[in-house]
Amino acid sequence: MTIHRTCDGVRRRDFLQIGAAGFAGVNLAGYLSMAQAGELAAAQGKNAIFVNLPGGPSHMDTFDLKPDAPVEFRGTFNPIKTNVAGIEISEHLPKLAQCADKYAVLRGVSHTLAAHRLGSEYVNTGNRPVAALEYPGYGAVVTKELTQSSKTEDVPPFVAIPRSTQRAGFLGVQYAPLNTGATPRPGQPFSVRGVTLGNGLTVSEVTKRQNLLSDLDTVFKKAEQNNQLLKGMNKFDKQARAMITSKAAREAFDINREPESYAKKFGTTPFGMSCLLATRLVGAGVRFVTVSYGGWDTHRDNFTTLKTRQLPAFDEGLAALFTGLAEKGLLESTVVYVTGEFGRTPKINTRTAEGGRDHYPRCMFMLLAGGGIQGGQVIGKSDAKATAPADAGISPDDVAATFYQAMGIDHTKEYESGTGRPITIVRNGTPIKQAFA
Amino acid sequence: MKSRVLIFVGLLVGMSLIAVSVEAVDTVPPLPSRFADADIDEVPDFQKHVVPLLSRLGCNGRACHGSFQGRGDFRLSLFGYDFAADFKELNNPDSPRIDTADSEASLVLTMPTDADIHGGGKRFDPAGWEYRVLHNWIQGGAIFDRDNVAKLTRLEISPTEIQFSATGEAEQLTVIAVWQDGSREDVTPLVRFTTNDKVIATVDENGLITAGIGTGDTHVVIAYDKAVVPIPVLRPVSKLAGRRYPKVETPTRVDELVVEKLRKLGIVPAALSTDAEFFRRLSLDLTGTLPTAVAVEEFLADTSADKRSNKIDALLETPAYAAWWATKLCDFTGNNDQQLVNTSPVRNAPGEIWYRWIEQRLAKNMPYDELAAGIILATSKKPNQSYIDYCKDMTELHGVDRDQKISQMETMPYYWARREFRNPPERAISFAYAFMGIRIQCAQCHKHPFDVWSKQDFAEFSSFFSGVVFGNTPVGADRAVYQNMLKDLGLSKLRGGELRRELTNKIRAGETVPFPMLYTRGPRKVDENGRSSGAVLTEASILGGDVVRFERDQDVREPLMQWLRSKENPYFAKAFVNRVWANYFNVGIVDPPDDLSLANPPSNAALLDYLTQGFLDHDFDIKWLQREIINSRTYQLSWQTNETNQGDDRNFSHQVPRRLPAEVTVDAIAMATASDQEAQRLHAEMKGRAISIASSSERFLQGNNPSTFGLMVFGRSTRESSCECDRSGDPTLLQTVYLQNDQDIYRLLDRRNTGWLYQVSQENKWAFTGVGRVSNSSNSTPRKPPANYEQLMQSLEKRIAYYRKQGNAAALVKSLQDRRRMYVQRFGPPNSAEKENVVAEDRADDNSNDDKVARQVPGADEIVKQAYLRTLSRYPSEQELAKCIKYINESEDTINGVRGVLWALVNTKEFVVNH
Repeated sequence: MTIHRTCDGVRRRDFLQIGAAGFAGVNLAGYLSMAQAGELAAAQGKNAIFVNLPGGPSHMDTFDLKPDAPVEFRGTFNPIKTNVAGIEISEHLPKLAQCADKYAVLRGVSHTLAAHRLGSEYVNTGNRPVAALEYPGYGAVVTKELTQSSKTEDVPPFVAIPRSTQRAGFLGVQYAPLNTGATPRPGQPFSVRGVTLGNGLTVSEVTKRQNLLSDLDTVFKKAEQNNQLLKGMNKFDKQARAMITSKAAREAFDINREPESYAKKFGTTPFGMSCLLATRLVGAGVRFVTVSYGGWDTHRDNFTTLKTRQLPAFDEGLAALFTGLAEKGLLESTVVYVTGEFGRTPKINTRTAEGGRDHYPRCMFMLLAGGGIQGGQVIGKSDAKATAPADAGISPDDVAATFYQAMGIDHTKEYESGTGRPITIVRNGTPIKQAFA
Repeated sequence: MKSRVLIFVGLLVGMSLIAVSVEAVDTVPPLPSRFADADIDEVPDFQKHVVPLLSRLGCNGRACHGSFQGRGDFRLSLFGYDFAADFKELNNPDSPRIDTADSEASLVLTMPTDADIHGGGKRFDPAGWEYRVLHNWIQGGAIFDRDNVAKLTRLEISPTEIQFSATGEAEQLTVIAVWQDGSREDVTPLVRFTTNDKVIATVDENGLITAGIGTGDTHVVIAYDKAVVPIPVLRPVSKLAGRRYPKVETPTRVDELVVEKLRKLGIVPAALSTDAEFFRRLSLDLTGTLPTAVAVEEFLADTSADKRSNKIDALLETPAYAAWWATKLCDFTGNNDQQLVNTSPVRNAPGEIWYRWIEQRLAKNMPYDELAAGIILATSKKPNQSYIDYCKDMTELHGVDRDQKISQMETMPYYWARREFRNPPERAISFAYAFMGIRIQCAQCHKHPFDVWSKQDFAEFSSFFSGVVFGNTPVGADRAVYQNMLKDLGLSKLRGGELRRELTNKIRAGETVPFPMLYTRGPRKVDENGRSSGAVLTEASILGGDVVRFERDQDVREPLMQWLRSKENPYFAKAFVNRVWANYFNVGIVDPPDDLSLANPPSNAALLDYLTQGFLDHDFDIKWLQREIINSRTYQLSWQTNETNQGDDRNFSHQVPRRLPAEVTVDAIAMATASDQEAQRLHAEMKGRAISIASSSERFLQGNNPSTFGLMVFGRSTRESSCECDRSGDPTLLQTVYLQNDQDIYRLLDRRNTGWLYQVSQENKWAFTGVGRVSNSSNSTPRKPPANYEQLMQSLEKRIAYYRKQGNAAALVKSLQDRRRMYVQRFGPPNSAEKENVVAEDRADDNSNDDKVARQVPGADEIVKQAYLRTLSRYPSEQELAKCIKYINESEDTINGVRGVLWALVNTKEFVVNH
């Protein structure tokens, strides 16, 4: 049984009691809520989809074009109008341009970590990484905060398609995602590690075995009341059985159940299929789904790579994600968060004839949608050459705080790290008011 | 029930004795009483009174001015020990908080007495003693001499131990500060009181301890100035405490010490474990390995009196012992493959060398201090060795017969090579964790809340680690040699990743290549922010204690190591002893084992001291320590509880069921499903065993390698953050899902050459078939079905339905169903059929089997016995045997029945929970 000690030896609740006992009017919770007065609006997000773009997509060629910048900056893509007046994005994202009313574009998001792993940790947790501990990613926090422990849920709370950069960190393996291990393929049944019944196993066979297991697993019966480990295992046993044998879990992962009219818009690329599955999972009650689409590390041949390989699939899949969620009526309750680990250098390099862009975290883009986030707007501003924010700039911490607010999670809440140190969920971020306008 | 320190002053014969209370004569009464009078003009002391008062009032709390951002532009040191910094803040020229000219206008008085202007509300009343203390200090000139910080000798606390017998009982603590100059003061209202278990006892800010609803024991911790003192609080669990305690067997000294504590609590230990329980537990704890079915039968049949201790001796000599403990030591020392990237031209070699070096020395029982010295005092070059010869040695090390070369390595340098542990503070934290079992990191930013270490102590301690460098390119004269080597290899023009790739190719071709190297230089001062100031260091204190002086270019690790292995060192031996103990129980004597501190006292100090002293007396003999612990009756107690001990999880009155560590679980599943021959092999060779995987990291566990998934799910240590918590022993949903339905489990159940199921089918000449059998292709995603798949399946369905209706072609129906199953397995279900139909049909077929005479599978009882022996390491009971035999007899084919039994056994809690 761990002893709950906080850094100053006094737990917050005790502090409140001390205040009430001897002195007048001290209310720490009150003090803090004064600081955030009126900012915790009624949260709408109940589920979240996190789209990770490993490699770091170029901001200047996607959502933050600068057609008037000098030629060695601007690149060869042109902006096009979207279905929202005043917002323009890359010409190679036509489908996203047609649904710009659904998402908010954040420009001038800025940090200083130009390395893949560090930048990735930063944008996946909303805290600048430190060597001393591993911050939990959004998925682990959402799972911890929003999943009621008493209900037996038929579907896993946190799914990663196929794997995730989101870590459970110091919250522990309990909050790790179920990795599907593969992306679904069109027209084919999708086998999810541990959940799908493979090899011709039927529900009846599994049920027979589970019954035998119940009969044999009796030695700890009496010890269970006093032992947290055994109690936990019983709970998970029930949940696992439900997931493996129930229709709900199997059908949630079966994208072939989606009507053709709905599935068509996602196309057939791995990213599109992942987005399709993500919308389905969210509809089935999965709290947090991560989708990954890599290959953005365009040090060389930036424009050809984007135009031919990256952007078409990205455009199709992501636009389908937004419209699909809206179609299913899930956009109001699902927060979508799209980001890579950084942007790319505004000045085009000369590694190849065509040129490429290198890592550049100081002026990246992010997208937020759903769950009460106001779509069809641009938040933040970059300077003339997209080298830096034109105003105070937005930090990944702020975006993280905004995300948590949309999910109804108090980002100033504290957890205890493995060494007993109190850690705020997002220490340095403030939610962006404009996102909820 | 205050206990007072009494002095009897004996006068001349005939006169009565006078009892004098020391406090009344020498001790200054507490602040509130001295400052009760409004006219008091005593000037309090900044260090002794003002700063502790600010702590008590909560001013320097974490959420207020103690926050690193401060509040309202005013920042105080967290835990109030940085007097100089606090004094500076109070006198901040931009916004001074105190005004010596007009003391009552000082912000530090006007703000916290006015809820309207102070964000933190009203903290004290202007008419109260707190106000007077602060006011008088300011009026007295707000004096603080930073060069004359008073030294606290000790805290005298009474009572020194508290025993409760009912909820609601209360006891008042009195705390007296004794300073170096001899002065004494009652500081009870100024100290910080915390309880380590509020269910057993709560403590308020005035030091009144109240018994809670829980029984057992805990500590109340008192903190004032630099001192941290724990006071034990005990409430017996039953009426058997003390004199009424029954006679209990205590064959070893360890048992005596454990029972001494249990007697105070009235907790009676459990009975002894059965032989089966003991053998399974011992194998898993000592060697991380599940015993084979054969070994279990042998042990249970053995009738010799000392078979348990003989078995302990035997297991200590197995290769698995060294492998498992090497894994544990790699956890403590942080063998992380990601952090060793680019420390050698051969990928993954550093981590493997690290592991093997430790493993070899554990096998031959090298004393722990020598082993640690081999890591701490590591050098790359041998004395007087040239750089080229060093590179030749290293190149050979990566060639054939690596194990032989590793056994000849005097030291193992890679502990110092890790990427994220190259600056002194990071090193200090890792070192303290690995070799001292303390969490020194708190003191990096503020006074350590749980012990006496300050920020300054931490900075000085870090400076010990400023003298070691691990670099790719050598310095000094060796640099020219290095560059020549590159030239000879034709690689002078390459840099970074390209150079590394070429070096790897060269070494594969057998050529000598330059190797990164560890070298030492004289230590440098490290400031409070962890930066090396460049100034040469000539002496430093080790955590505010012993001062060490060193020569200009001395390897500063030498005096550090000497201090570490000296008999008086309070951490080195103790931390290791405690960690070894923690391996065998659900908690250490200090728990968690990486948190030895004053505020976290051992649950049984006498026991820990005895084992530590014994370890020292036996010159750090690790096998002695293992034997001393596991030969005790305490280790061998049952997990089944009685009335008095069922709530105890801290005092070793019974074994507490705990989950097996990740590597042990993964290996155990493989062992349980292995054929007899394969199980033997897994015991003899460590190849393929999870306990012989050298390195670990987040990346390793999250990676694409399918064999790491099980390790990740069961929480193998990531070795990322110098913390025991990098490894997880908690249950999770994914673990249960994994055991019930993961591909890994099915693959292990159904492997042919090395699987037990296959062995059974061969021995009994049964067909190796059945539902859920894994096909030979490990491809889990079904392939694209042929164009006519739908038609094919529909015609198959029609034929099955036809022959079932006929009723007389059961074998044909079965073979058609098998074929349908195979197609479904290979191509996925056809769109036309719902899985439910298939289920319904199977169920109908199963029912039709019941009409026939129930099968009696020959030899089923022996098979079930073998299944139990290889999974749960015991014989099945009569009922269990009957249930399993019935299941096999009722299965549509025998092997599938046995498969079901094996699956179920591996999925019981009994399998994966050590008990």
